[in-house]
Amino acid sequence: MARFILRRLAGMVLVLFAISLIVFAIFVVIPSYDPAEAIAGKNSNPQLVANVEETWGFDEPLPVQYLTMMKLAFSGELVSYSSEANVTEQIWEGLPATFSLCIGAAVIWLLLGLLLGYIAAVHAGRPADRVLTVLAVIGISMPVVLLAPACLYFLAIQTDLFPTGGYVPLSEDPLEWAYHLVLPWTSLAILFAGFYSRVLRSNMLEAMEEDHVRTARAKGLTERQVVTRHVLRNSLIPIVTLFGLDFAAALAGAAIVTESVFNLQGVGQYAADSIANLDLPPIMGVTLLGAFFVVLFNTLVDLAYAYLDPRIRLGESAR
Amino acid sequence: MKETGTSEPLLSVRDLRVRFATEAGPVRAVDGVSFELAAGEVLAIVGESGSGKSVTAQTIIGLTRTPNARIEGSARLEGTELIAADEEELQRIRGARVAMVFQDPMTSFNPIYRVGRQIVEAIRAHRRGIGDDEARRLAIEMLEAVEIPEAQRRVDSYPHELSGGMRQRAMIAMALALDPELLIADEPTTALDVTVQAQILELLRRLNRDRNLATLLITHDLGVVADIADRVLVMHRGRIVERGSLDEVFYSPQDPYTRRLLGAMLRLDQAPAARPRAEQVPLLEVTDLVKDFPRRRGLLGRRGAERFRAVDRVSLRLDRGETLGLVGESGSGKSTLCRAILQLVEPSAGSVRFEGREIAGLTRRRMEPLRREMQIVFQDPYASLNPRRRIGEIVGEALRMQGVPRGGERRRRAQDLLDRVGLAPEHHDRYPHELSGGQRQRVGIARAIAMRPKLIVADEPVSALDVSVRAQILDLLAELQEELGLSYLFVAHDIGVIRHVADRIAVMHRGKIVEEGAANRICDQPRETYTRELLAAVPVPDPREARARRAKLSA
Repeated sequence: MARFILRRLAGMVLVLFAISLIVFAIFVVIPSYDPAEAIAGKNSNPQLVANVEETWGFDEPLPVQYLTMMKLAFSGELVSYSSEANVTEQIWEGLPATFSLCIGAAVIWLLLGLLLGYIAAVHAGRPADRVLTVLAVIGISMPVVLLAPACLYFLAIQTDLFPTGGYVPLSEDPLEWAYHLVLPWTSLAILFAGFYSRVLRSNMLEAMEEDHVRTARAKGLTERQVVTRHVLRNSLIPIVTLFGLDFAAALAGAAIVTESVFNLQGVGQYAADSIANLDLPPIMGVTLLGAFFVVLFNTLVDLAYAYLDPRIRLGESAR
Repeated sequence: MKETGTSEPLLSVRDLRVRFATEAGPVRAVDGVSFELAAGEVLAIVGESGSGKSVTAQTIIGLTRTPNARIEGSARLEGTELIAADEEELQRIRGARVAMVFQDPMTSFNPIYRVGRQIVEAIRAHRRGIGDDEARRLAIEMLEAVEIPEAQRRVDSYPHELSGGMRQRAMIAMALALDPELLIADEPTTALDVTVQAQILELLRRLNRDRNLATLLITHDLGVVADIADRVLVMHRGRIVERGSLDEVFYSPQDPYTRRLLGAMLRLDQAPAARPRAEQVPLLEVTDLVKDFPRRRGLLGRRGAERFRAVDRVSLRLDRGETLGLVGESGSGKSTLCRAILQLVEPSAGSVRFEGREIAGLTRRRMEPLRREMQIVFQDPYASLNPRRRIGEIVGEALRMQGVPRGGERRRRAQDLLDRVGLAPEHHDRYPHELSGGQRQRVGIARAIAMRPKLIVADEPVSALDVSVRAQILDLLAELQEELGLSYLFVAHDIGVIRHVADRIAVMHRGKIVEEGAANRICDQPRETYTRELLAAVPVPDPREARARRAKLSA
C-alpha cells in the first residue's frame, strides 16, 4: 500500500513536469505572441517593452524562464501578465464555486444515472427500458455548450424561474447558493447521467448472466435480493473507475463552459478568461491544478477498486 | 440395493417439456421426460452437451423460467407441484428443501463476498429468526462437515483464496446448510482434478448416506456415474433413451445411443493395441529445463526476493513420429513447460534442442522460422478461433505466411486442408460460431498442419469435447501423424485419454517429472507413489470394478 502510493506520487511528479513543459512550449511557439508587448500595453514604445522584458525576465534563455516560472508556481508567487494579480490567490478564490458546481453535479448525475440505469436493466426489453434508452441517448447527445446556454435562455432570461448567473457562497446563504447552482448543476450533469445509466444497464445485464447469480437464485433469495446484492453490487465496481476519472475531468475541464455561461467566477471561468487574454501564468497554474486532480482521483479510484474487489491487489495492478 | 417400495417417491417428474423460442425457431430442450427419485437415492442423468440434462435439473427448481421458455408437465416434491408453483413458493423451496451445486465453484460463488457471508446469506434467506452470530456458527459447522480444515479461518476467505477442491466443498456446505431433502449436483466434479474429484465424490457419497439425501447427479462422465449412482437415465436430444439400475445400463444397454456412448469411453484399465515403435531419431531434447517466476510476499515484500519454480529441472525426449503424453493436475507446471519448450516464455535455465539445434534463449527474430515447425492445438476451440473471421481466413492465414498467393490457389489449398481434417468445402466461408465444438477443433488442427510442422503441442485438445466427438478427434490426430510423420507432445489431465494416444507417458507433479516410461508400463505398473495415486483416483466406467475398488479401500 505504502509502496503503491509512493509510486503514484512519483508518477504525479512526472505528469506535472510533462504537462507544464507542454503548456510552456505552446506559448513559446505561438506566432507573433510577445508577453512583454502585452504587458507594456497599447500605448507602449520599444523602450517600455525592453524594460518590461528585463523586469519580467523575458530576455533570459527559455530553460531559465521555465525554471523561474516553476519556482514561482510552486511557491505560490506566480503573477498574471495582464492584471499582475497573484495566480494562487485567484485560483483559491475560484475553488469554492468550482467544487460546489462539480460536487453538486456529480451527486445529481450519480443518483440520476444509477437510478435510471437500474430501472432500465430490471425492465430490459420492456417499454420502460425503451423510453429510458431514448432519454439517455438524448442526454448523451446534448453537449454542455448547447445545453447550458439553452437552460439559461429559456429558464432564466425568458421566464425568470432561475437567476441568470453568479455565485453565492454557501456560507453566506445556503438557499441562494443552491438556487443559483440548479441550472449549472443540471447542465453539467445531464450528459454524464445519460452515459452512466447506459453503462450501469449493460453492466447489470451482463452480470445477470453470471454463474454466481444463478447460485444466488438457487439459494432461495428473492429476486430483489439477487438483483441488489449480487447483480447491482458487482456492476457498481466498474462505475467507480468511471466516476473517479469523470469527476476529475469535470473539475479540470468540463466545468469551464458551464462556469463561463453562468458566470460562476470559478477556476474554470478564470481559465477561460486567461486563455482569451493569452495570459500564460494563470493557464499554467490552472492546468497544473487540473493535472494534479486527475492523478489524485486516478489513485483514489485504484484504492477504491482494491477495496471493492478483493481479487485485485495494488502491487499487481500498478505494475 | 435401495428399493423405493410402495412409499411415495420424494421427487416425481412427469412428462416434463421445455421449449425455448430462439431466432432459428423453437428448440425442444426437454421433450417429455419422466422419472422418480426416492430419499437416499442417487440418480444420475447422463448425456452429452445439448442433451437437455441440465435444463431438466434447473427446470425442476424454476431456474429456467425466462420469457422465451415454455414449460409444461409436472414435477412434484412430496406432493408439492413445482412447475406450476408461483415464484414465492419456489423461493421457499430453493435452498431449503432442494439445493443445488454447480460445475464451476470459482464462477458459482460471488467473487466479492467472503465465503462465510455467502453461506450465512443462504441460511438467513430461509431462517429469518437466526441472528448473524448463530448463522456464522452454523456456516463454520457446515464447513467442518464437508471436511474443510481450519473452518474457523476459512469462513472469512474470499472464493479466490481457496483451492478448487476447497471451493467445491464450500459450495456443498452452502447447499446443505439448511438440511435439504434433495441435492441437485450439476457436473459437480467436472472442473476439478481427478484426485480432488475422487475426494468430492467420496464426500457426496458420505453425505448421501448420513443424511438420507436424495441426489440428482447431472454428468457427462460415465466413470463418475459408475462410482456413485444407484440408477441411471441416459438423455439424448431432450429425451430419455435408456433407464435402469447402474448395472443394467452398463452391462446390458438397450438403446444404440447408450451403447455408442459406452463404446466411446477410453478406459484406463484397457490397454490399446500396440503401436509400431517409431524410428528413434530425436526431434526434441529437453535437458534440465527450469522456469522460475518471481513471487512477492505481502505488500511491502521485496520483489524478486523469492521465486516460484514452475518447472523444476525437467528433461524429456521426443522422437520423430512419436507421441509423448504429458500428464499432470492443474498447477503441476505442464502448460508452463510447453510454453518454455516453444520459447513462448523464456526458460530460466536448461537446454531445449530441436533437431539437434539449441533454441533456448534464441531471439524472437531467429526463433520465427522455427515457429512454423512447431504448432499448437489448444484446449478450447471456442476461445482459440477469432470469432470475426471466416474459417477459410483462419486456415488461409497460415498459407499466406508460406507465400501462397491470395485468391483461387489459396482457397483451393485451404479447402484441401479442411477436407483432410474431415470438414466440407462449404465450411470455408462459415464463421466459428456456426460450427460445433468438434468441427471447431478440426479447424484448429487444420490451422496447425497448414504450416507443415514437425512438432505439434496438443494442449488438452479433447478435454472440452463430448466423449463421442473426442474419439473422432483422437482418430484424426492419429491418422495425420501417420500421414505426415508428426510428433506430438500431448498434454492432458486425463490419463485415460493419454494411454490411448501416447507411446510414452511423462507424469508431472509440482514442476517435476516424477515418472516417465512406456504408456502401458506407466498405467499397469506405476513405480512412483504419486503416479499410483493419480491412477487410483481415475474413476472406472465399470460399476463392478468401482465397487471392488471401494471395498478394497474401506477394508
